Amino acid sequence: MTNYHFLYRLTKYRFTLYIGNVILWTIITLGPIIPGLIMKEFFDKLEGKSVYEFGVGGLIALLLAVALVRSLTIIAGFITDVNLRFRMSGLLRRNMLEHILKKPGARAIPCSPGEAITQFREDVEHVEETISWSADAVGMAFFAGVSFYILYNIHAQLTLYVFLPLVVVVTAAQLATSRLQKYRAASREATSQVTGAINEMFNSVQAIQIAGAEQRVIQRFKLLNDTRRVTMLKDKLMNSLLESVFSNTVNIGTGLILVVAAQSMWEGTFSVGEFALFVYYLAFVTQFIQNFGKFMTLFKQNQVSLDRMKFLLQDESATQLVERHPLHLRGEIPDLIHPVTAASDVLDRLEVRDLTYHYPGTDRGIEGINLNIRKQTLNVVTGQIGSGKTTLVRALLGLLPMDRGEIRWNGKVLEGDVGSFFVPPRTAYTPQVTRLYSDTLKNNILLGLPDDSERIEGAIHAAVLDHDVEHLHYGIDTVIGPRGVKLSGGQAQRTAAARMFVRDAQLLVFDDLSSALDIDTERKLWERLYQSRESACLVVSHRKAILQKADHIIVMREGRIEAEGTLEELLLTNEEMRRIWNMGDEGNT
Amino acid sequence: MKVVNMKIPLKQYIGLLRGYLKTQKLAMLWLAILLVSGTALQLVNPQIIRYFIDTSQESGSMELLLYAALLYIGVSLLNQGILVVATYIGENVGWTATNQLRVDVAAHSLGLDMSFHKNRTSGESVERVDGDINALANFFSNFVIVLLSNLLLMVGIIVLLFRENILIGFSMVVFIIVAMVSIQYIRKFAVPHWTELRQMNGRFFGFLVEHLEGTEDTRANGATGYVMRQYHLLLRKWLPVRIRAFMGWAAMWITTIFVFTLGTAVAFGVSAYLWQQGVLTIGTAYMIFHYTELLGKPIEKLRTQIEDLQKADASIHRVQELMELRSTIQDGDGTPLSKGPLSVTFQQVKFGYEEGLTTLNDINFRLEPGKVLGVIGRTGSGKTTLTRLLMRFYDPDEGRILLGDVDTRDPYVHELRKRVGLVTQSIEIFQGTVRDNLTFFDDKIQDPYIIEVLHELGLQSWYTALPNGLDSPLESGGGGLSAGEAQLLAFARVFLTDPGLIILDEASSRLDPASEQWMERAMNRLLHNRTCIIIAHRLSTLQRADQILMLEDGEIKEYGNRTELVSNKSSRFSEVLAAGLEEVLV
Repeated sequence: MTNYHFLYRLTKYRFTLYIGNVILWTIITLGPIIPGLIMKEFFDKLEGKSVYEFGVGGLIALLLAVALVRSLTIIAGFITDVNLRFRMSGLLRRNMLEHILKKPGARAIPCSPGEAITQFREDVEHVEETISWSADAVGMAFFAGVSFYILYNIHAQLTLYVFLPLVVVVTAAQLATSRLQKYRAASREATSQVTGAINEMFNSVQAIQIAGAEQRVIQRFKLLNDTRRVTMLKDKLMNSLLESVFSNTVNIGTGLILVVAAQSMWEGTFSVGEFALFVYYLAFVTQFIQNFGKFMTLFKQNQVSLDRMKFLLQDESATQLVERHPLHLRGEIPDLIHPVTAASDVLDRLEVRDLTYHYPGTDRGIEGINLNIRKQTLNVVTGQIGSGKTTLVRALLGLLPMDRGEIRWNGKVLEGDVGSFFVPPRTAYTPQVTRLYSDTLKNNILLGLPDDSERIEGAIHAAVLDHDVEHLHYGIDTVIGPRGVKLSGGQAQRTAAARMFVRDAQLLVFDDLSSALDIDTERKLWERLYQSRESACLVVSHRKAILQKADHIIVMREGRIEAEGTLEELLLTNEEMRRIWNMGDEGNT
Repeated sequence: MKVVNMKIPLKQYIGLLRGYLKTQKLAMLWLAILLVSGTALQLVNPQIIRYFIDTSQESGSMELLLYAALLYIGVSLLNQGILVVATYIGENVGWTATNQLRVDVAAHSLGLDMSFHKNRTSGESVERVDGDINALANFFSNFVIVLLSNLLLMVGIIVLLFRENILIGFSMVVFIIVAMVSIQYIRKFAVPHWTELRQMNGRFFGFLVEHLEGTEDTRANGATGYVMRQYHLLLRKWLPVRIRAFMGWAAMWITTIFVFTLGTAVAFGVSAYLWQQGVLTIGTAYMIFHYTELLGKPIEKLRTQIEDLQKADASIHRVQELMELRSTIQDGDGTPLSKGPLSVTFQQVKFGYEEGLTTLNDINFRLEPGKVLGVIGRTGSGKTTLTRLLMRFYDPDEGRILLGDVDTRDPYVHELRKRVGLVTQSIEIFQGTVRDNLTFFDDKIQDPYIIEVLHELGLQSWYTALPNGLDSPLESGGGGLSAGEAQLLAFARVFLTDPGLIILDEASSRLDPASEQWMERAMNRLLHNRTCIIIAHRLSTLQRADQILMLEDGEIKEYGNRTELVSNKSSRFSEVLAAGLEEVLV
């Protein structure tokens, strides 16, 4: 999609508002036309050449009236402008967010979240500006037309001498703006490096403080800032050079008026009032040229922002950006649709064939995985670090886009994006690193599910979180800080587990849940889970408590399945399993 | 609240400006010279036009008129050139100064204690450190310099008008005063709306960052609809705030329009009167009018500068507020910690994260140097809090903590953190090379030593598989590394700093048993001559502990020598061991 087409599609989203905005701003921009004529009248009066019967008092009253009307239109114009801008940016951000959330969870954005914010903030703001200014551009064009008409009727030759160089300059400047793009792209890139660094800094604050590395981190930050300064300077210099070219032409235009008007003023065919009008309108036409130039620059540079947004969405066509969706700014926000368990959702068996995924640019990952998971069974994936356990689980759930493989749910092959299939009520997942959001504990667990206190209590009980909830200040309505820092590691993991349990899924997938739990808590959790043997479980772990309860164990090594079976079988036949199991034995009392 | 807050006096406002520009005096001087000359040139042009008009009325020679016209063009060109150079210098000053401020704010924030950080999303921090300071970029160079040159222009115009006629001069002065006062007055209404808007922006982008980081959780739990709903709810809150802020802006613009119209009316009125008196030529009438128009630009510029100040005003307040925050964790007098392994003593320590909450109560124990302490207890019993107190992320409410018989509050915080190593559960891998992640950009740590440590931790196969060795890039949050590998990396980080006390907070639990074995062996060597506190709930890990500390609901349930506790069948520790027997028997 071209830049122009993109902006056009976006404005079509709220076309009436856009047109309204254009009309209002055209009126606002035409504002100076009448005061100019009033001023001409004044000078003509002084010279005694006036045609109309207004007194000086009358002219002043007229001026004030025009100012009043102008003010009212400005208020209206601002209202339409804010609303229009908000809807444009609201839609873009909404579409970007939604599409990112739809991508395979672990590969949702091609850069760090901190850098991605530049797209959401600066790039979207740029698009907003471009659209808003387009209304001005129309207004300015009208002003140019009307003033041209008035001036031409006064002194045709002079009018042409004024407008001709201006047209030449605009064309020349247009050709120059294409070079501006690369400077803007460079400065945007430098900015996102800086915001990315800030984000990283504050995400790793604890590690930085522990390592006493504040100084060094700041040094590096200084360098990034300086790079940005340099790129910004180049950007600004090019812009101001361009601007000065516009202003210069205006001055030359004025100078030319002086030259050409000299003859006529001498002869008395050109009054001071007419001269004043020319210079007055010329000043505004200058503004028009500059603003139009600014708009053209904004428009051209919009390409950079558009490219960056397309990059973020990993979408070549940009159609995703401009999809029409309601913003729900008024009235009720539609309720969430909650998944209902259909007959086909009930798990009988899950078969995986030849599942393969490698991290881009490496040969780390998993290769040729074959799995069978039966209903209501506890399956454990185990292995050493880096053997691919987490990769397996994430690729299976579609959080990583598999390189190849076939997955069958109840015998039916899953086509297309597996990740959109493996969601509640079919599956639910607790990752290794839990992400809690800045919201109440209840909302962190529910994440949109209906507020059913029985279900919540059930989930909290299953996650062995009841004791902890009692000790929280506001119970489940306690707001958990960013990334759940107020909770201890174990509490955060169990919250993630509760989040999973409350979803009542057919297959529960746990990635290393027990790592932060003490033995008592861990035991209770598995016991409670075992009691309510509704769902099948797929657990990544090496804990004896779970290995002993497992119906089926899958041993992984270097990205492949080394062996499968029950615990007894594997301990007898498999070296790797024994290695993993024997850990607890060393130096017993 | 654990962070101290102070008032913001006006003097610091100005101080904020002066401090950062002092280093660029020469550039500022050039800027001033350029803008003064530019102003002078702008004042000259209307005089040229006046001369032109009057000469044409009197039918003077055409040659003179042409010279006047060319002079006009020449002056304009020179003025433009000066403006470009001035803009460049101004922009440079602005970026250099704000970059400095940005670095200072970031450094200051990094130094604040955890009670500050846990309450903020990193998105909000980006808004503060970058968004707010960008708003100040304009403030630094343009506001001061442009303000001055516009003031100069205004003064110049007034002087020249007085020179023409006292009445004109006087009425223009009155006009300017009325204009300034009205604009100032209106500004008071707009500023709070801009502050509100910036805060709302911060909230919105904080929300976005959190959810950009949490895409896996959202997807896998089918919470996409929920997140989108939260987005829409935020948008609803945002729109009215934006409208109010823009209305403030509109009010400013309308005020200047009226003020302008007033100025033009005054010019008309007074000129008409003086013309009737026969005191004025028509060229002069035009020139007065032109100067009135010229006043428009400074007043207009002042308005937009004031608007930028509105945005900057809000930002200055927020930055000031941030810089006023003082960590309650202050450096002590600099008592050094002893070399070698450190002893650890807790004396009647009581601590709570907030008022009325007690996380740790009456903690008393002593650990001899070089010994290993195993800490066990339910999650939430206060184990992690203990480590935070040892690292001085917080200070105890009552009692004291001694390392090597030195109160933790005495040494410089930096020094203390160098001597205490902490490996936590949360993996903090950032975007950078492997080396960066291990050394935190400390180039004093040599590569061979790094590789040696990696070997000792059993990461040699992982290291040799890296495409660029230590220069290989790692992703933010540790993508591409398994959690176990990331954990070992964090371990390596700590070992590289050579601490006297190592705290392992549930670190081993992410590893599978075989790899843990590896680490145990490496630990044996590296723990030689160091004190260690292990927080784990795997009984097997506790095998290397000399002492055992059992916490429950923030209090010590049991403390003693491990072998003694084990042999004493009625000890709590023995009970726990018995319950965990299934781990011990094959």
